Formats: sequence, C-alpha cells, structure tokens
Amino acid sequence: MASPDSTSGRASLPPKSPKPRPIAPASYRPLKAYAFDPSQGKYFGNYMTLNVKYERLQPGPIGAQIAVIDYDASNDCYYEPVNLDEDAILIRDGLDPSESDPRFHQQMVYAVVKETIERFEFALGRPIRWRAARDPKDALYRGKLRIFPHCMQEANAYYDPSLHAILFGYFAAPADDELNLPGQTIFTCLSHDIVAHETTHALIDGIRPYFMEQTSIDTPAFHEAFADIIALLQHFSMTDNMRETIAGTRGLLEMGELAPYAQPGSKGAQINAEIARDNPLVALAKQFGSAMKLRAGLRSAIGTKPGSHELETKTEPHDRGSILVAAVFDAYFTSYLKKTHDLMSLASAYAGASAELHPYLVNRLADAASKTAKQFEHICIRALDYCPVTDIRFGDFLQALITADYDLVPDDPYGYRSAFIDAFRSRGIRPFASSYSEEALRWGGPQVKDGSSLQCFGMNVSLQQQMADEDFRAAQEHNAKIITNFAKQHAVELGLDPIAENCKIDVFSFHPVLRTAPDGRPLLEMVAQVLQTLTLPDEGGKPAAKVHGGAALVFNVDGTVRYAIHKSANRLAALQAAYRAQLSNHSALSPYCDVSNAQVNFRALHRGY
Amino acid sequence: MPTKKRPRRNNRAKTKTQHEPAPGGTSGGAGERAGKIQVRMFRVGFGDCFLLTLPTAQGPRYILVDCGVHSKGNIKLEGTSLLEKAFDNIAQVTGKKLSIVIATHPHQDHISGFGSFAKQFGEFSISEVWMPWTEDPDDPQAKSLHDKRTTLVSRLQAHFAALGMSEDIGPAAAVANMAGNAPAFQALHSGFGVGAKVRYFKAGDLAKEPAGIQGLNVSILGPPTDQKFLAQMDPPANDHYLRLRGGDTGGAGMVEPFDRQQWSFAKEDPSLAWPELPEAYKKELRSRANSAVDELAFALDQCVNNCSIVALLSYQGLNLLFPGDAQYGNWESWVKSSGSASLLSGVSFYKVAHHGSVNANPKEALEKMPDAKFAAMMSTQSRPWPSIPAPGLLPALDRKTGKQWVRSDAIAISGAPSAPAGTVVPPVFQEGDFWFDYFVG
Ligand SMILES: [Zn+2]
Ligand SMILES: [Zn+2]
Repeated sequence: MASPDSTSGRASLPPKSPKPRPIAPASYRPLKAYAFDPSQGKYFGNYMTLNVKYERLQPGPIGAQIAVIDYDASNDCYYEPVNLDEDAILIRDGLDPSESDPRFHQQMVYAVVKETIERFEFALGRPIRWRAARDPKDALYRGKLRIFPHCMQEANAYYDPSLHAILFGYFAAPADDELNLPGQTIFTCLSHDIVAHETTHALIDGIRPYFMEQTSIDTPAFHEAFADIIALLQHFSMTDNMRETIAGTRGLLEMGELAPYAQPGSKGAQINAEIARDNPLVALAKQFGSAMKLRAGLRSAIGTKPGSHELETKTEPHDRGSILVAAVFDAYFTSYLKKTHDLMSLASAYAGASAELHPYLVNRLADAASKTAKQFEHICIRALDYCPVTDIRFGDFLQALITADYDLVPDDPYGYRSAFIDAFRSRGIRPFASSYSEEALRWGGPQVKDGSSLQCFGMNVSLQQQMADEDFRAAQEHNAKIITNFAKQHAVELGLDPIAENCKIDVFSFHPVLRTAPDGRPLLEMVAQVLQTLTLPDEGGKPAAKVHGGAALVFNVDGTVRYAIHKSANRLAALQAAYRAQLSNHSALSPYCDVSNAQVNFRALHRGY
Repeated sequence: MPTKKRPRRNNRAKTKTQHEPAPGGTSGGAGERAGKIQVRMFRVGFGDCFLLTLPTAQGPRYILVDCGVHSKGNIKLEGTSLLEKAFDNIAQVTGKKLSIVIATHPHQDHISGFGSFAKQFGEFSISEVWMPWTEDPDDPQAKSLHDKRTTLVSRLQAHFAALGMSEDIGPAAAVANMAGNAPAFQALHSGFGVGAKVRYFKAGDLAKEPAGIQGLNVSILGPPTDQKFLAQMDPPANDHYLRLRGGDTGGAGMVEPFDRQQWSFAKEDPSLAWPELPEAYKKELRSRANSAVDELAFALDQCVNNCSIVALLSYQGLNLLFPGDAQYGNWESWVKSSGSASLLSGVSFYKVAHHGSVNANPKEALEKMPDAKFAAMMSTQSRPWPSIPAPGLLPALDRKTGKQWVRSDAIAISGAPSAPAGTVVPPVFQEGDFWFDYFVG
C-alpha cells in the first residue's frame, strides 16, 4: 500500500540505511469466493473476498487447524493442490472464482471453513482446538480438521466424526434442475452455505461432543437447525449481499408499511405470513436451500405463520429443525424491523409509496440487517457454552440463549431477548422452566442452602489464546484435577445424580473464556463440562448400555459457580432407549449391517435414507 | 434360544406325551394328530417355505406360504437343492392339491420356487393364488411402484457388476434378491396355468372361507394402502442424483469432475510436500463414497419387504400370524391401532418375520402377544447375512413364547451354516428330514 510519504514528493531526503526495515506480517489473507454458489452467476454480490486470519500454509491448503486434501475416493485420485502462498496468487487476493479449476475450489473451501471457525472463536472468546483423541490411527494431519472438497460422487456433503473430516460430493445436475444445465457437474464445496453448514457440525462436535449422542427426537433436528442458522446468518451478515437484495426490491419498504405488526413493545408473534410473502430476505433464504431438497426443508418454515402445535407432529429431523430455524429468524426479523422502524417511517413520509429506495437508505438498511445478523450469530454461538452437556432440546437452547446474552448484555437495549422469547413461544418451543419470563428462563446456580455460593479454588484461568501446546496441556491437566474433585465433592449441589458404582463422574472440558460486551466491557469466566456416565444392563442382563448426563458449569473468574446446567442420566435412560429403538425400527440398514444408533449420522441425515 | 441347562417344565413334558406322533410319522404331513392344524417349516437355506395342513370334514386342505430361497443362501442336501427337496415333499404330502398359494412379497427368497418349479406346479390343482396389492397389474399405483423398483434394481445390478462386486454379501446380495423374479411372477399371475383364482390383498381385507375352506377366515393386516405409509414401500427419490457405474442408459456413467490428464496429481511429486493419506484412511473414504449406492440398495430392499402380505389365519378358534418379511414400516401401519392388542393377544402361532431381523419383529407387536401361549417358527440362516437373526430378538422370543420357538437352521445340514452350539429344539417341534412340524393348539 502506498504510504502518504511516498506520494508527497520529498525525494530530496538523503537515503537512510540500505537495510530494509522489517515489515509486520499481514494479519489477514484476502481470498476470493462465491458468496452463494456458481449457479447464482456473476452478479455483483456473488463474488466476494473473505479476509481470514493470516497463517503460513502448505499446499493443500494445509494450515494449523484445517487440512484441505483433494483426494477423490470415487475416482481414486488426487487433484493438484493449490499453494496459496505462491506469489502469483498472493498478489491477486487468491485465484478468481472458477468452476473448472479444482485449485479455486480448494481455496474457497479453505476460506469459508476458516471464516466459520473464526466466527466461533470470536463469539466463544477462545481458540478452537480439535481434540486429538478422536483422531484415527494416522499421525498425518493430526489435530486438523480434514476437508475433502471432491470426495465422492453424490448429491451430499457431511461431517464425519470418526474420520474427523468433512466430505463434499459432486454430482451431475438432474434433468429437472432449474438453475443448472442437465448433466452439468455441481460441486457442493462451492456452495458457501453448505461449507458453513458442515463446518458448524464439526465445530459443535468439538464444543459439545456429547451432543452427537442421539437421545431424543430433538438431537438430529437441533444439529441440522443450528448448522443452518449459522450458514444463513453468515449470508445475512454480509453487507454487500444485503445491499443488493434491499436495493433490488421494494420489499422492505412494504415491510415498513406493515410495521404496526412490529411495534416495539407489542406482544405476540412479530412476523406473520403476510410480511413473509413480500420479504426478500425470506425469499433469498429459501432460495439458498433449493439445491438440495432436504436442506430446503430446513428453511421452509422461515417467515410462515407460527403454529404452536407444530412440534407435536413434526418428527422428521429437517421438518422439526425448520421450526427452530424459523423461530430464530422470527426473532431476527423482528429485531431488524424494530431497529429500522424509524428509517422506514421517514422514508415513507418523504417518498410516499412510489420511489425506489434512496441509496443512502439502502446502505443504512443493509448495515442494520448485517449488523443484527452478526449479533444474532454471536448470541447463538455463545449460547453453546450455556447448553447442557448432553441431550440438547430446543427448550434448553432457548434458556441457553437467554442466559448467555444476559451475562454479556444485562440490559438488552435492542430487545433481542424478548424477541427470542416471543418467537420461541409462538412456535410452541417449550422449555422446562416455570414460565416464559426472562428470569424463569435463565439457568440457575448450584442448589445450596441459605443463598450462599459454591466456589472452586485453584483453577488456572490464564487465557489460552497465545498458549503453546505444552502449556495448554499442563493447564488442562491441572484444571481437570481441580474441577473433577470439586464436582465429585459437590455432585448433589451441582444437580448431578448421586455418584454410584455404575454412575461415574468425569470432567472432560474446561476453558477460560474472554468475551467482549458490545459496550467494550470484558467478561472473563471459566466454562467446564462435567460428564456423568450411567451404566445399565441390557435385557439379557449382560453387556451394558451407557447413558450420559452431566452438568455444564459456568464459573466466575474467582471460581464461584454462576450456573450449573444439569441433566440427569437416570432420568434420560428410558427416553434414550425408546428413541434409539425407534431409529433402529426405521433403519433400512439395521437388519444387514452393524449399525449403531448411538451417534448422529450426518451422512444418512443429509441423504434422507 | 432354549439351552440344555434349562430344566424342562412339567407341562411341557405333558404336551409332548399328549401329542406323540405315530411311529415313522415324521415324513408324512397329513392325517397326524387328527384335528390339529399342522405347520411345516422347511429348511431351505435363507428363504421361506411353509406348508399348512388344515383338517376339514372333507379331509386335509393345504396352504403354501412362500416357496423360495436366496441364491446366495441356497443350500444342498446330497447334491440336491433343499428347495427342490421341499417342493418334492409338498407334492407328495399334498397329492398335488393346494387350496391356496400365498406369495407374500416379491423377493427371491420367498418366491423363487414358483419360478423354478413353474412347470411342476402346472400339474397341481390350485384353487387360489394370493399376492399383495402392490403386485396387481391393474392398479396404477402398484404399477408405478413396480416400475420404479424394476428400473432401480436393474441399474443397481449393472452398477455392482461394473464394480466387480460379489453378490455373496452386502448390498449386492440384497439386490440379487430382488432380481430374476420374472418367471415366478409369470407363473403366479397366470394362476400357474391351472385356473387358480388370482387375488390381490391389502390391509383391511377379510377373506371369508377362501378356496371353500369352511370355517377359515383370513384377516389381511398389510400391506397398507394409506398414503401415509406408502412411502415405506416407495423407493427413495434421491436416486436421480446417482450416476451408477454401468447402470445408466445413454452412457451417463460416473462423473469425472475434472480433466484427469490436466489435474490428476501424483502424490510422489517431490515438488509439493504433501503427505499421502494412509491406505486405511483412503479405504474408509472409498467405502463412504460407495455408501450412497449401497444404502440405496438396502432402502429398496426394505421397501420390498414392507410390501409383504401380513395374514392372520383364523381356524378352529386358533390364530396363525404370517407376516412375511414385513419390516417396521409395514407393522407400524396397524400395530399402533386400538384393535391390534386384541388381534395379537389371541395369536397361537407366529411365523417370525424377515428371518428374525432386528426391525421386523417390533417390540410393540411382540409385547402384545400372549405370554407363553403361542409358538413361533423362524426360517433363518446366518448366510448371506451374519447379522440375521438379530441376537437381541432371541431372549425376547424365549420370554414371550415360554421358549416354544424353533429356528430352521437347528437342522444340521453339512456344508451349511447352522444354529449356534447349544441350541435345543423344544419337543413340541418335530424334526423331519429337513423340516420342523408344529401342531397348533
Ligand atoms: Zn425373506
Ligand atoms: Zn424379503
């Protein structure tokens, strides 16, 4: 970049030392990518540049957290890997979008995965480190999430926990495809949406590994919904996308006219079907999902009239997940409307119903839409640390959202929390709390007598951001010991089941986190996951079924337990067994193969059979 | 499975003495234990072949439920296929007279014999041939299911052949079971050319005194026609994304996403420090790459099983349940209904569904059957599916039947996989040369 000095013409200064001054390493690496996917063409907004944190890369690209390996298992061959540190590529912000060059695919998939990881790191206030223990035998690529951009010929892409890998498929467009030529190869790794969705599955596995265990009908639905919420919010958080959409339609102006439905303080559902029909954001959201039928299902409820009994009948994971997606987007649209209500009123007062939106207004609206999306994404991700350790239910997620956001932004200036509560209530998502009031929804602390507090002494709360691997491991070991002893000693107060021969306690995750509130206030705390394993005999009385319960603990920096978010393994046992039997009943594979229904299988979930 | 350690209860010993067969009577079917319904389960390998003998005032009447064997689970005795021996026995026992032939569903392991012995069946006198409604050539919905299935089966077969995959195991074996059934159907649809009345049944039908057998009523519980359950019989729709190797007309085979000449990359290339994936890991990836097609084959197999006729035969106050290979999707259509409890609580005999697979004998159904008041027969074998019968089902059968159940592979056939050591045959089941007899009631 040109500095002001070099253009000021003061060439007469005597030359300084011939030794060139060191240049600080770049903090970001710009990389080109499709904002949607190739079928959206070249219109402005579909080509974008992502700025991901700079790291040295090997050809692949292979970095510290991610290894992109272009092995095609269907054709049993490798494709040439891109070297993003090559000068010719560095100088032009990465390769230009191209469907026919696999190296661009590798670049895009790297950029979007990295971007998604970074959003999680920012929201969670700590770096993402993959657990090495789950890695398969090979030492290569240890500790990295493996990405296979062209793994198989299939209209599918999925995260595979046992391989610690994301497998992307490619396929020939079917004859009835509206966006692609029949027979044309479609690459799932070129869909921003799909890449973000799969990366989110991998991240959830890293953050809440026991969510992968299927305990109820909500388990697969939550995974699908959450991954899609993140993928969608990423689109909405890109200002360029929003500017295009808002300018290209007058939809938002019409929404302004419908604003009475969205008056701040009004009760009940803020978004109804009437608004949805003309809402370009909703149309866009649905369009993203149209390429793959099941995923389209996830978005089918966005902007529809809420029904409070839908959860009772929707059992297919994508149908069910669509309700959670819709609830989050109801809350998002409501918040967005509230924020832009004044602008809309001014616009309609001055321009009437006729004119196109003024570009200034478009900018302001796009800005509001994308900022709100970013904040919603952070709230949703942050809520993960406030979710139970096992058996996630939609209602738990609402409680986690409310608690997490309250901790960071106690006064709720934009009314996000009331928007969430209204939206979840209208869609019939019921928490186990006594009411939908914010106080009732917030998780409780440990059950201790006379209002005293419970404190865990001696934890190492140094931040892990800059820690070397050995120091990180030492700190982890130290904290494991301290927190395990603490949890065993206070099992009952923390809401755990009484410890018994067949009911053991284990602490497997503990992280100091540093979060920054919107007002710049830092919040330092410690989060830990206590696992409780209940071992039960099966019908024959012999081998054992395992049920996992436990508690997520949130500590103040002084070790005081602020929240103990617990699930009883004993209470979960019967429900889990019934649900897994149900899965086995419907599986076409279970008669012939050794299929376990213990873990979520994204391959089958995304495929639909 | 009953084991040797279990002391025999008195009442069972009593049952045994009460019904001791006439000496040498195990090779014949009719006439024994006069007045009782006899069920003969043949050991054919992996497949079903059940002969029912109903005593009537006019003498014994015979019903044949399925007659087939899986080509990869076919076994021989003294050089002859056991299915052929079973057919010979049927011809001999029945005097070539069958009142009803039921073909429960279009799987080789249930109907192959109708094709292989079509000519011989043509010398029988057969009154009625029963098939599920999904085989009715005049039903447009059935036809569409049928066409979809046939197309998919031939594509899958070509695909597995192109991959050089053995049909002995795995998904290719499942596909083999769905193929080559045309001769059987030709015979069945034509009433074996002997003027048998061909009838198609759906859930809710009631056959009153079929083939003129007085006092026999057959309630049909499956397959359903309800839209809600149709999906359980309809092949997965996603298949149009698949380009099967060798399986497509018009030459559209596997996709090569990039020009191999240009982009294929030798990992030995020293200019790029790119660690090769371990072979074991690549193998895992390749198996996942194939899984879409593999699992499609299993899904299709399940659809076919869910087309099974589920027949509850009521005669002389006894109820015999023959569910074919119905898997959960078929059961689900009626087992949750309010009437199912009274139906199932009166069962006196149960043909274990789908060779004892894990999701063909749902708990909801088993639990509604009367404790220790019914017997069960399971035609099974661990080849070609080592996971069949499902180990978890066996203790449940022990408990529900009061250990009154038997598996066909308890008959030792040299060269064929047999039931685990220690398997004991309860005395109520009479072992013949290659069959078990059970007298109901
Ligand atoms: Zn069968
Ligand atoms: Zn079958």
